Amino acid sequence: MAETYNQDNQKIVQDWGTSARRWRTLAAYLRRNPSLIVGTVLLFILAMIAIGGQFFIDYSDAQPLSNRPSRPPSEQYPLGTDKFGRNLLAILVYGTYLTGKVGLIAGALGVIIGAILGFLAGFYRGWVDTVISLVTDVLLTIPPLLVLVVIATNISGKLDTNQMAIIISLLAWRQPTRQIRAQVLIMREAGYVKTARLGGTSRMGIVFKELMPNLIPYLMASFVLTVATAMLASVGLEALGLGPQNEPTLGMTIYWVMLEGAFSTGLWWWWATPLIALIILFVGLYLVSVGLDELANPRTRRRGI
Amino acid sequence: MKSGRPKRGLAVNDLRVEFYTDDGIVKAVDGVDFTVDPGIRMGIVGESGSGKTTTALALMGMIEPPGKVVGGHAKLDELELLDLTEEQYRQHRLATVSYIPQGAMNSLNPVARIGTQILDGMTDHGHNLRGNEARDRVADLLTQVDLSPDVARMFPHELSGGMKQRACIAIAIALQPKLLIADEPTSALDVITQRRVMETLRKVQEEIGSSLILIGHDMGLMAQFVDEMMVMNNGRVVEQGKVRDIFARPSHSYTKLLIDSVPSLKRSERAQTGLNGNHAKAASEVPLLEFDAVGKTYSKGRTRIEALKPLTLRLDGDIPRVIAIVGQSGSGKTTMGSLALGFETASQGMVHFDGVDIGKMTNGASSKFRREVQAVFQDPYASYNPFYKVDHVLTVPLSKFKIARSRSEALGHMIQACESVGLDPAQTIHRYAHQMSGGQRQRLMVGRAIMLKPRLLVADEPVSMVDASLRSTILNNLAAMKAELGTSVLYITHDLATAYEIADFVLVLHKGQVVEAGRPETVIDDPQHPYTRLLVDSIPWPDPNRNWGTGGSIDEELKEVAAADLSAPTIIREQVAGFHLG
Repeated sequence: MAETYNQDNQKIVQDWGTSARRWRTLAAYLRRNPSLIVGTVLLFILAMIAIGGQFFIDYSDAQPLSNRPSRPPSEQYPLGTDKFGRNLLAILVYGTYLTGKVGLIAGALGVIIGAILGFLAGFYRGWVDTVISLVTDVLLTIPPLLVLVVIATNISGKLDTNQMAIIISLLAWRQPTRQIRAQVLIMREAGYVKTARLGGTSRMGIVFKELMPNLIPYLMASFVLTVATAMLASVGLEALGLGPQNEPTLGMTIYWVMLEGAFSTGLWWWWATPLIALIILFVGLYLVSVGLDELANPRTRRRGI
Repeated sequence: MKSGRPKRGLAVNDLRVEFYTDDGIVKAVDGVDFTVDPGIRMGIVGESGSGKTTTALALMGMIEPPGKVVGGHAKLDELELLDLTEEQYRQHRLATVSYIPQGAMNSLNPVARIGTQILDGMTDHGHNLRGNEARDRVADLLTQVDLSPDVARMFPHELSGGMKQRACIAIAIALQPKLLIADEPTSALDVITQRRVMETLRKVQEEIGSSLILIGHDMGLMAQFVDEMMVMNNGRVVEQGKVRDIFARPSHSYTKLLIDSVPSLKRSERAQTGLNGNHAKAASEVPLLEFDAVGKTYSKGRTRIEALKPLTLRLDGDIPRVIAIVGQSGSGKTTMGSLALGFETASQGMVHFDGVDIGKMTNGASSKFRREVQAVFQDPYASYNPFYKVDHVLTVPLSKFKIARSRSEALGHMIQACESVGLDPAQTIHRYAHQMSGGQRQRLMVGRAIMLKPRLLVADEPVSMVDASLRSTILNNLAAMKAELGTSVLYITHDLATAYEIADFVLVLHKGQVVEAGRPETVIDDPQHPYTRLLVDSIPWPDPNRNWGTGGSIDEELKEVAAADLSAPTIIREQVAGFHLG
């Protein structure tokens, strides 16, 4: 165990609790958790393309009939154009942005609702717990795509990405509720809750200062997972053609690819672009979630990787 | 049964085991020599990290990388254990050398019946018994370890801890091995169960005539159980010989430390200090803690469990007292502590602190109550929030109770708290709990209690999870709190011996009821209630001449306890000033 702080004990006592020390500890920790870093970098690159790209490329380039159709990658169109004359570079930029937006909104809504419900159920127990757990468990048995297909078919066509996100978040809170409830159930009985009460910590103090910090890694891991699930659901719905018809999300692009037979007509750049973007997106989310798992359990921290 | 075996026993010569870690080579076992003759019980004593378990694992051929046996010999009769290949070893384990593990609850397969698990090992070694033959053999083995033959059809979760440990013994002796190795077989059991298991183990070992190695850190248990022993420290043997000789004349300072760390009949001066009432304030009218017919009942479905029967007591607090509450798990002793801490509300009666009902406290009274009543719990790991470094448990009360007004003032208090329990502040306050040993964590919790100078401390089994040599340090700290800070202590324990050492008054709790109470010397030297007698008889005294259970077998005593009238009033031997029971 290389414990860097053992070398200069005196300094450590003076250094106690300062923010400089916290940053050093954080940096030392990140070096031992490469999947968190690699995942974050992948997602950061995609985010740069999706957000930074918007300053250079006009949204109209991602609309049909804006360019010459079916052009292979060239100097003018680095990623080529599709059969409708949309610039695939513009689709990469705006599609990633839109898909990311759907996932983030749905994921955030899901985790916020799930955390509140899970916390209520786990901390207060009793009938609150019974009702929340029952509803969650019943809903968990229903395949989400089924419900989403039913809802989306009824309002598709006039759908935009924001409504899409809200539809997906309707079912995205179930897993976080279960996870957070289970964690709160374990933590509320922990010895340190007793220690905190003996130290004069109030009920609210115990919730926010003792339990919440320990839940943050779970909340983050849960958030990442929910975002991934939400994106997967949105891409799935869109690939079935049930997404926003007028917006160039990655999933809708896949739908047009399949509809227009890009595979058989040799327009490989048409399907390769959204596919690679999706792969990077999900691998990045996976790595971040694995890294957060490691962070969530402090006892695994000292083992390093 | 011994006939036909060469009477050689086990001879270990210059055994060396090394572990290759990032920090270099750790010599876990560094040249150990010993012999165990057939039929002899040998004890290996030492603290965690002394190499005692590694020695046993080496004999079992179970050293895993990064560890490696790098030298030495271990001959069992004519068999050189260290030269065996893995496959040869597999055949000798259980048949020749058998191991009784530490946590029986984790060693048994939860989804297989006990009978099946006993037969498994035998089948694997070519004893393929079927039908009646198998059933009879299993029944024999279970009878041998004092279990009913019906246990064969049960699953581990249907057995108590002591029964599971005895089932493990049955598995270990099924093939009549020449050497039994028992690694702290009773560390998770209370004293009464411990005595039963050890008596069973002694009986079967004598019946099959094997050698036995008992690994442990409890000198009392060694004195009661083994014939010879060796004391290990840092991978080396520091002392070995006949157990009587070692206890009569310990030559190495480490052995003396281990013997002294066990509470003995010599009542130390700890309990006497502060008795003279140096801190006696003017006798106040309001008692510090008062239980007014306090009872606690838990309902589980339709069954109601009476954890604590109505109990009335008064602790004045003007003369600091250590009140020991002694009982087995399930006796209601922890419930009593939780009631005093206000973590549980009484089902009947009222708990008063400083004259105020703790169930109906105003904010001001509540914060005073929290400030003045502190606790040390059994599990020193769980007491720390893993999110924070250990300084969190010190800084929170310092700021909430407005003891320190600045960071530097808080740091001063924290350094003092560490030093009061002999911890180096520079090595402590910036760490996470998982970076410290169990003993360090528990000492810091005691240091926290000292720092807060409470009027009442609830100490719930504070030493049951720490190494023997630290026990007396922690008990000394508690005694010092009483003497120097005038703190009264509710000392909750299953161990009468430590109660004997530091308590002014003992309550013996059995099934939610105080069966006997009095000064520890009265209660322990001449117990009146059968349950107290059983508890006292089960103490493993660190004295080979003082036998475990002076009269009769433990089964008779257990019957007597079962027959005792539970509705009988508490046997109150005497009262002490400052504490009143009933």
